[in-house]
Amino acid sequence: MELSLGLIVVVLLAGFFVGFFSAMFGVGGGVIMVPFMVLVLGITQHTAEGTSLLVIIPTAIAGVLAHRRRGFVSFSHGLLLGGGGAIGACLGASFALRIEEGSLTRGFAAFVIVAGLRIASQGWKLRSPG
Amino acid sequence: MTSATKRSYLIGVGFLGGLLGGLLGVGGGIVMVPLLVFVAGSSQHEAHATSLAAIIPIAVVGAARFGSAGEIDITAAVVLAVGTLVGAPLGARAMAGMSEGTLKILFGALTVVIGALMLWS
Repeated sequence: MELSLGLIVVVLLAGFFVGFFSAMFGVGGGVIMVPFMVLVLGITQHTAEGTSLLVIIPTAIAGVLAHRRRGFVSFSHGLLLGGGGAIGACLGASFALRIEEGSLTRGFAAFVIVAGLRIASQGWKLRSPG
Repeated sequence: MTSATKRSYLIGVGFLGGLLGGLLGVGGGIVMVPLLVFVAGSSQHEAHATSLAAIIPIAVVGAARFGSAGEIDITAAVVLAVGTLVGAPLGARAMAGMSEGTLKILFGALTVVIGALMLWS
């Protein structure tokens, strides 16, 4: 990809926002990065996904180091999650590179919406006691 | 939940996170965080931080698979990463400063929006 100076500034700012978002919400940030790369940088979908995963490595490490200082990271849980995650990622990436992933994505989307509503309602109750 | 059940559950949650992560080029945290809160009994803050730790191996495996297929743009990755490395410690600090209730509402709202966008596309 050819980058002009102006575009470099835009990508740096996008990266900053992604890093902030990632550490705050415990996610990789690919949800922002992949569409950003496809729509703004004109990178193809698969290359955007691969690039996103590469960027997530240092981003997540930086976030974990910052959270660890405050005692928020459970490494015993993280190890088990990460072990299962590595197997799942291998499978998921193979699917992505080979087939249309529409129905699987919709299944995840439905779960995410229901889970989000439930977590928000837990938060709502915590903030309005009684 | 016995500790053996809990261990299998955590591995299963990681598997789902990894599956989504590898599929969409994301970390999978959006699936792992709620499952950690609902069943593993993690606080919202601990779930976010722990999810992030699990994302590291997911991203390593995913990036290796995509990379071996030649599907990585190194220039874009380097410039993005410079930005994320500055943003991540600040995001972690912002999270630490939030109450459990506020963090839950923000995360919940965010996941509903992301889920809707996933359905849309």
